[in-house]
Amino acid sequence: MFALTLYPLTLGKEWREACREGRVFWLAITLFVLMLAVIASGWQSHKALSLQQQQVTESERLRWLQQGDKGPHSAAHYGVYVIKPSSPLAVLEPGLTPYLGHTILLEAHKQNDAQFRPIQDAVPGQRFGELTPGFVVQILLPLLIILFGFQSLAGERDKGTLQQLWLAGASPCTLFWSKAAALLSLGLLFLAPLIVYVLLIAPAMSHHLTPFDWARAGIIALGYFVYLFIWVLLTLFISAVSNTSRLALLSLLIIWGALCLLIPKIAIEWSTQSVQLDSARLFQSRMESEIYTQKRLSAIEQYKQETLRQYQVKEVSELPFDWSGAQLQFGEAYGNQVFDRLYGERQQAINQQSSRYEWAGLFSPMVTLQRITTAAAATDMRHHQWFSEAAERHRRHMQVLLNGDVKQNAQSADGDYKAGIALWKQVPEFNYALPDFLPLIPFYRKPLLLLCLWLVLGLIAGQWAVKHLSREQI
Amino acid sequence: MMNGLVACHEFKHGWREKLLPTLLVITLLLTGFSFYNGYQWSKQQQAVIAAAQLEQQQAIAQAQQALVKRRATTPINWWDDVTDLRGYAFYLMVNYALKPPQAMAPVAVGQSDVLPYFFRLTVGKKQDFIHQHETVHPLLLQLGKFDLAFFTVYLLPLLIIVACYSALSQEKHSGQLLSLMVQGLSPLRLLLIQLTVRAGVIVIPLIAGSLLLLIIFQPEASALALLGLGGLLLLYALFWLALCALVISFGKTASYNISTLIACWLAWVIIIPALGNSWMQWMHPVPSRIHYVDTLRQVTDQVEQSTANTLANFFQDHPELASNNAAKPLDHYSVKKLASINAIEKTMQPVQQAFEQHLIQQQRSAAQWQLLSPASITQSALSQLAGNGLEGHQHFMAQTQQYHAQLRGYFQTRIIAAVGRGDFAPCEGCNANITLTEFSAIPVFSYRSYAPSIQWLPIGCLATMVLIMAYVALIRVGGLGRAQ
Repeated sequence: MFALTLYPLTLGKEWREACREGRVFWLAITLFVLMLAVIASGWQSHKALSLQQQQVTESERLRWLQQGDKGPHSAAHYGVYVIKPSSPLAVLEPGLTPYLGHTILLEAHKQNDAQFRPIQDAVPGQRFGELTPGFVVQILLPLLIILFGFQSLAGERDKGTLQQLWLAGASPCTLFWSKAAALLSLGLLFLAPLIVYVLLIAPAMSHHLTPFDWARAGIIALGYFVYLFIWVLLTLFISAVSNTSRLALLSLLIIWGALCLLIPKIAIEWSTQSVQLDSARLFQSRMESEIYTQKRLSAIEQYKQETLRQYQVKEVSELPFDWSGAQLQFGEAYGNQVFDRLYGERQQAINQQSSRYEWAGLFSPMVTLQRITTAAAATDMRHHQWFSEAAERHRRHMQVLLNGDVKQNAQSADGDYKAGIALWKQVPEFNYALPDFLPLIPFYRKPLLLLCLWLVLGLIAGQWAVKHLSREQI
Repeated sequence: MMNGLVACHEFKHGWREKLLPTLLVITLLLTGFSFYNGYQWSKQQQAVIAAAQLEQQQAIAQAQQALVKRRATTPINWWDDVTDLRGYAFYLMVNYALKPPQAMAPVAVGQSDVLPYFFRLTVGKKQDFIHQHETVHPLLLQLGKFDLAFFTVYLLPLLIIVACYSALSQEKHSGQLLSLMVQGLSPLRLLLIQLTVRAGVIVIPLIAGSLLLLIIFQPEASALALLGLGGLLLLYALFWLALCALVISFGKTASYNISTLIACWLAWVIIIPALGNSWMQWMHPVPSRIHYVDTLRQVTDQVEQSTANTLANFFQDHPELASNNAAKPLDHYSVKKLASINAIEKTMQPVQQAFEQHLIQQQRSAAQWQLLSPASITQSALSQLAGNGLEGHQHFMAQTQQYHAQLRGYFQTRIIAAVGRGDFAPCEGCNANITLTEFSAIPVFSYRSYAPSIQWLPIGCLATMVLIMAYVALIRVGGLGRAQ
């Protein structure tokens, strides 16, 4: 019974004290307003971006269909631009979006990377001070929890009111968890605008390419909740075991600085320096020097001889199909092997860097949360890779169709074969939709397990703090 | 004499409490680590640039060998032939525009990891190369490098706050201040000594360490640049010291001081710069790159569909290239290609300019907004000093575009002359003549180094803020002494 009455009392007391701490109170109000502002502006930008994406995708399709009569290989060089769809949840957690391109040109002979990284059109300040809801939750809210909570138990001890609470019948366990619930309630207030966005706005902004996925929204909400709870437990633990509130604050600030500022940066420096990536210059040079080689010319010649043998003819002109179409497709397949190897190696190196960075989640819950929420918002590297792979599959399918058409139909045209809208229509639209999240969970098991580990550590710390308070009671 | 004694006592006390040695070790470690990261990045850039230069030289040497071979054997497809002007200009050329890192580059990575520092160019349209970029893990770009600029702007204030928040207030609230005053030590003098000793353990190793590392590893760094760096670090440290003094001058508890100082740090280092960015994006939104793609496609289609018009416009713009021989019409494939490249670039120019214009407007707004945040002032000044700011990149871009135009001009003249002479089809069914022999005469990019201009207004603003805060703190601490 006492526990039940203690919670509202504690909440009221903590709230009053927070209001009395003028500086922190105003800081909290500022952060809350900022949170509302960034969600509103992110929502507007996302709406505009989605509309543009749909419009340009449609006009690109129209351009493809209305390109007129031409050789299918010319059409393959003309190509198609495809645009990465953006989830409405990216408003909350833009993640790597500004650092990755969103448009890929699908054309003959080349596997292209995504182009137009928004960060290249930004002034330097935007990079070093981008305010997003994710940033507020991951970096600023823990600091606010610290500023609100460092005095929760150490302050009671400083003022001597802790002993009075014991005398009034409060148990250390009830007191600790009431304080935790009160502090968590304050933290959760800041999640309210996010929840409203997730429940009311994001579903309305979804379309067939970015279907609203409750699993993704749920993971983000749960991740934020667990993360704030971990910080609440950490704050109260330090507050409980510190002799003075000053020492508690100092310790918590050092922990916050290390967990939120230092460790992520040190970890990514270590990850990227321990696994080296080829420079874009070297990558490009390797690609050219490994595709356009004498070996390739020999392979084409060998393919030609084999084909002639297979059809028992002496000249390609005697083949029952157009040789140029077959040769083009052979060249594509040859190039694709090199692309698979080189892009595969680069992808593997990037994945190794990501994997090493993920281990930093052992030392910082922020690293772990970031990995989970960017995954759920489809703004991480892995989602970008899936999009790029889907685009490349589509490019290869286009080449098979177009080169196949040359092979089948160009022979009779005496080198001036032209196809029309009937062929262009055979090339399907590129409709890449964000994948469902639940089947993807195995890809993210490491950060999910690490966040659970942090939660368990937090609970153990809480229990330890309760024991510490119990010893004081005696 | 007394100052020395108090300083000595303060130092010994801090050392015994293990606060000062801890801060000293943290500062030294982080200075070394942050310098190492910036230095590594700069070395990596240098290695890429050296490899690109080597590749370019080797390509020219191979082209010269191919020339000898081509003279002796049967020709190959023109698009595979380096001795054919068209093949070389449109497809085979290995030609780089490179921006080497400056001597002070390890100080601040700035935008150098996001913006390109090399371009591989052909005579193709500039839209084909200006969006190239280095391959870096995007997470590293998002989190930013742990360089000296990051350490200074974000962590140095926190270290200063942790070292100094309890100065004077500890003595005041423990009652020691009165007895010290009786012995002739004013609160102001005590505060100054405490701040100097405590901050000295952080600021001196940072400045001395970074200058020493630069002198050892970047001996080409100028004395003026080193002096500028030292001055800037000192000024920024003084800002946070003055702020500490101001907060302490209110005579509240150490807990009050630290929570106020942290709130100030949050406001000046995180919130104000972030608000500034949101404001800039709202006031001067950058045009959409998705629409850019759409426009580029439309323009390319229009140009391709009206070849005759494109050719006519091209020769109207370049009358010096038009043929006087009406018997040899210049409507060859390569001339059409050159004409369409020129036409696309010309039509896309306003779209390109719209992006540049918005960036300039944002830069102007950022320059005004940064006056509100000492962190933004310092960040921007350090990036500029390192040559890795936006201005340095724009300087490189301007040089690259100038060079690209020169390169195009070089090949344009020769290709059109070759078409005029009929070199690409000397007779019905004949192979093309050799049209490119002087590889060493092809223009080569040469980077003119960028001398960063010192922005005195923001630095003056920062100095003024320091003076005002120090003056107010001085008056208030004086008053505190009288009250005691």
